[in-house]
Parts: sequence; C-alpha cells; structure tokens
Amino acid sequence: MLNISKKIENTKAVLTLEGRLDTVTAPEMEKVIREALPGLTELILDFKKLEYISSAGLRVLLLAQKAMNRQGKMKLCRVNETIKEIFEVTGFSDILTIE
Amino acid sequence: MPEKTVREMSAAQRKHYSLEAKTFRATLLGCILLGIVMLIVGLGLYSYSLTMQYVNHAFYISQYASMSATYGADPLAFAQEVMEKYKSLNAEKRMKTGTAEYRAEFSEFESAKNYTVLINMLSNYTRSEDVSDVYLAMYDEENSAMVYIVDPDEEDRLLPGEWEPVNEKGMHKFLDWNGEGMLYDIEHIDKYGWICTAGTPLRNDKGKICAFLLVDVTIDNVLTGIRTYTLQVTVAMLLIIMIISFLMIRHMKKTLVEPIDEIANAAQEYAKERSAGVKDTNCFASLDIHTGDEVENLSLVMADMEMSLSEYEENLTKITAEKERITTELNLATRIQADMLPNVYPAFPDRSEFDIYATMDPAKEVGGDFYDFFLIDSNHLCMVIADVSGKGIPAALFMMATKIILANNAMMGKSPAQILSDTNAAICSNNREEMFVTVWLGILEISTGKLTAANAGHEYPALKNPGGAFELLKDTHGFVIGGMDGIKYKQYELMLEPGSKIFLYTDGVPEATDAQGNMFEKERMLSALNKDTNAAPEQILKNVHTAIDEFVKSAEQFDDLTMLCMEYKKIEE
Repeated sequence: MLNISKKIENTKAVLTLEGRLDTVTAPEMEKVIREALPGLTELILDFKKLEYISSAGLRVLLLAQKAMNRQGKMKLCRVNETIKEIFEVTGFSDILTIE
Repeated sequence: MPEKTVREMSAAQRKHYSLEAKTFRATLLGCILLGIVMLIVGLGLYSYSLTMQYVNHAFYISQYASMSATYGADPLAFAQEVMEKYKSLNAEKRMKTGTAEYRAEFSEFESAKNYTVLINMLSNYTRSEDVSDVYLAMYDEENSAMVYIVDPDEEDRLLPGEWEPVNEKGMHKFLDWNGEGMLYDIEHIDKYGWICTAGTPLRNDKGKICAFLLVDVTIDNVLTGIRTYTLQVTVAMLLIIMIISFLMIRHMKKTLVEPIDEIANAAQEYAKERSAGVKDTNCFASLDIHTGDEVENLSLVMADMEMSLSEYEENLTKITAEKERITTELNLATRIQADMLPNVYPAFPDRSEFDIYATMDPAKEVGGDFYDFFLIDSNHLCMVIADVSGKGIPAALFMMATKIILANNAMMGKSPAQILSDTNAAICSNNREEMFVTVWLGILEISTGKLTAANAGHEYPALKNPGGAFELLKDTHGFVIGGMDGIKYKQYELMLEPGSKIFLYTDGVPEATDAQGNMFEKERMLSALNKDTNAAPEQILKNVHTAIDEFVKSAEQFDDLTMLCMEYKKIEE
C-alpha cells in the first residue's frame, strides 16, 4: 500500500510518501509524478514514512530525476536507513540529491 | 402467504394458490360484498317507498272519509255527545270498558241516527279501499286513552264510548299537526302487527279538535314483500356473480396465466437446451405473446436476455481462447527463458577446479532476474547475476537483451568494468521506457584463483574463505545499467583460496516476505548459508531455499528468486 499526498505551490511540489513503493504501487507513483511534472522547477520527495522501495520504485525515481535534471532540481528528504542502504547498493545515491 | 415455496407444493396446493384460484376468490368475495351492500340499499329504498305508498293511501282515505262524514252526517256533534257521556263517568266506571255494564251506559248512542249513517259510510270505506279499519275516535288527554266514537271494524268492533290506552308520544304528533304534509304514525301492536295509522282531525267552529278520522293499514305485507324481494335478488345476484367470476377466470387465464405458463415453459426449455449444449437457443424469442401489458414486456425482456447471454457466451469463448493462447505462449516463454540460462548440472563435468550451481524461480511465468556462467576461454570463467527493474514480460524482454549483450562483450575478452560500461552504453542508446538492470559480473582466472569483478548497483555478494563463514563483501558500487549514459564502472580483484565459495543472489532473497509483511533479511540469509559451510554449492542453495520457504510459509512469492553459488577447488597440477 502506498499513500501519496501532494502539495503544489506555483512551480514547487512536495510529495509525501507513506507505505511501500514496489511493483504494485510504482505505476500510481509514476502517474502522479508525470501529472505534476509540467512546469515544475522544484520537486521534493518526503520519504519519512516510506518503508520499502523496490527496483520498480527506483525506476520511477530515475525517471523523475532525469526529467527534473532538464527543468530544475529534485531532492529527497528524511530518507530512513534501510532505503539509504538500497540507494547505496544500487548506486542511486550517486545520482540523487539526498538530504 | 403460503409457507412453502411453489416447488415444494403438492398439485392441490399449487391449484389453491394459483392466479386462477386467487382471481376466482377475489372476484367472488368482491361481488358478494357488493351484492350485500346493494341488497341493503335496495331493501331500504324498496321498503321506504312501499311504506310511503301505504301511508299515502291511508292518509287520503282519511281525508275523503272525513269530508264524506261531515257532509253526510254531523260527526262533530255526535262525538261531543259521546265524549260528554264518557267524561261524566268516574274513573272506576271507566275501567270497566269492554264489559256489558259499561256498554249499557252508552247504549243510547247505538241507535242514534248519526251513528247509523257514519258506521255504514265508514264500513263502506273499509271494504272498498282494502284497509284494516276506518274509524272515528277522540283522544282523552288526561288518561292517555283513545275513545272510540264510530268503529265499523267487523271482527273486533268497539262501540261508542269504549276506549283503549294509547302511546302519548305518538298521539301528540296528531294533536300538534300544523296541517302540512301527511299525518301518520307507524307502530307495532302485538295484536295487529305493524300498523300504519293516518288521520285527519275534525275541528269545530272554534278550530278545536273534536275528533279524528283515523285509517289503520297493516303494513305486514311490506315485510312479506321484503322477504320475497330478498330471495329474488339473492338468487339473481348469485347467478350474476357466478357468471362474472367465470368470465374473470377465463379472462385471467387468457391474458395472464397462460402467457406466464408459456414463459415458464420457455425458461425450462431454455435450461434443458443449454445443458444439452445448444448455443443459439430460440426459446424466448419464439414466444408469441401480445397482451400489450407487463407480461408481454416480460417475454420481450427475457428474449433480450437470451440474446445478450448468447452474445456474452460467444465473447467469453473468444476471451477464454485468447487467454489459453496467452497461457500457452507464456508457458513456452518460461521454457525459452529457462533454456537460455545454463541449467544442466554438473555444468562442466570435465572441470574439477570449480563447482557451480544456480537457480531461478520467477514470481510470474517469466522473470526479470537472471544468472549466467560460461567459459570465456579454458582459463577464464565468467559469472553474472542480474536483476531487471519490474517483473513479468517487460522485465523478461529487457533481461534477454541484457544477457546477450553482456555475454557478447565478455566473450570479446574485455575486463568486467569495460563489459559493464559498454553494455550500459548499448542499452542507454535506446531505452525510452527507462528500464534498468543491476548487474554483478565476475571473471575467475581458474589457474590462479584471481577473481576480477564489477558491480552495477547489485546486492553485495557473500564470500566464504576456507575454514571461515559466509560474509557479505562490501564491494565497490557503480550505478545501475541503463539508468544513465556514460557511466564508468570500477572493478576490483580478490584472490580465492581453494575451498573458497562465493554466493550471488538477487533482492528476492533478502526481501522474501511472510504473510505479516516481515522480510527475510540478509542476517537470516547468512545464517542459512552458514548452516553447513562445507556443503556443495547445490546443497547450499537448497539450504537457503528451505530457510526461505520456512520463513514465508503460505505467503505468495512476490519477487523473482535467483541464486548462484560457486566453489573454487584445488588447482590441478
């Protein structure tokens, strides 16, 4: 299960994720991000309540990162240890901005 | 409402609850109720008008008789004389009315001329007009008595002066009459039955009432009339009710019962034909019901349903066939994918320097995980484990391409880092779906035990040195393959002593999840590996698999599960 709450102010969007970002929930996340992308210059993903991320979830992050590289910046905040480890193992920590 | 359903009922019960029987009962009950109301209203009107006719008759006779009497004699004077005599008697004497002694007191009046004239006249009226009695009388207010003056009644004649007690209330109606309408009163007297008395008062010059000319009519025959009337109406009513009920039943049968039976039969026939396998049934469509009401609508709706059901079934057959085709193709794809990976063991029967074993269990028919191992030349063994983002067919297609590109690059004799960099470049050149794959690739120099490896975002391998236990090797990590163009990978070297083992896996192993959502985790994986460190690679994989099965129990396998284990043995001299 995944709950996404969206807060958009002008060209800045904050997405707060809660639950699991896996094969089942990744398509929903992809849809939310694709809808929010046009005209966006700052994307912040709040991972405080995200418990787990699978490779399908990483793919959505990669997609968002690549899009935001073209039109602004993206950062992840409040990432827990488990997910930080996944980012490190997969090399995602090199391409993502994690606070 | 019946307690049983229609199916549980006996034939007799069904008949009892049938629409036909219900209609019959409802019609019968309705008609009878209506009949009773009509009868009561009819009887009321009938007896009222009949009684009024008698009243009318009696009243006019009294009018005519009073006129004749006044014209032919002097009834007022005669009445006054009788009343004077009557009033001269004391109460005791009066009580003797009807006796010979009492009559003797009035004997003089019987021979009076007035009396003779009047009694003949009134007697004539009585006979010719067919009434009970036409008589002259006066009311004695003090004693509530009716004093007879002239009474021609042949059966029960009262002589002048004789009296009878009367109902004071009824009498006041006569005394207070203002001359409008008809003067009459109806009373039941035990001796005579129902009697209607109509009258005309006779007044003297001063307008004082001196006598009444009264006419008695028995209206018992009105009651007899009512009895006859009731009998006749009841018989006629019953006949009409029977005819109406019969017609209603016939109407109901034709417009409701028979069409419904037809629909029920069609439904039965439909069920029979369906179970016999007939596809294009025509049971409801062939119904010919034209009642123009809900029943016809029902038959049309049933026909529509029949048609849409056959269409639905046709579609279902198509979809099922399509599904079967997809299943067949998926099964074939599963086999092709499995065959693409080395899966015959022992894999290298003529090489005793190493032992290698690997398995892949996709979560769906096809998976995105894969392992691979092959000899680049007689001295170099290449081992690969990889995990494509996502699952199912998209991941499987991506996995096939990656596997081939990796193997091709490896066979060209490149270093692991170069293989990964070149593979990344090849995949990134055309990857619009943003798929990526994590890869660990190692090349073992068999003669020396030197392992050169590179890691593109894959899980840490587990390494066991001779005499030691399995431990995670926190190796140098690069970014995943296919994620970003132009990535340069770093490689690392390590020397394997004879008896060393390396265990490679995908995230399906540590992330295997039980029904409560708990993960297997790397700690459990390591303890499963170390359960029997001396076991051959095949047994080590079985141990891990068993541990995972015991952990997840009945929960569905969610991710692909892929493992590879290689044991480096003694170098052959």
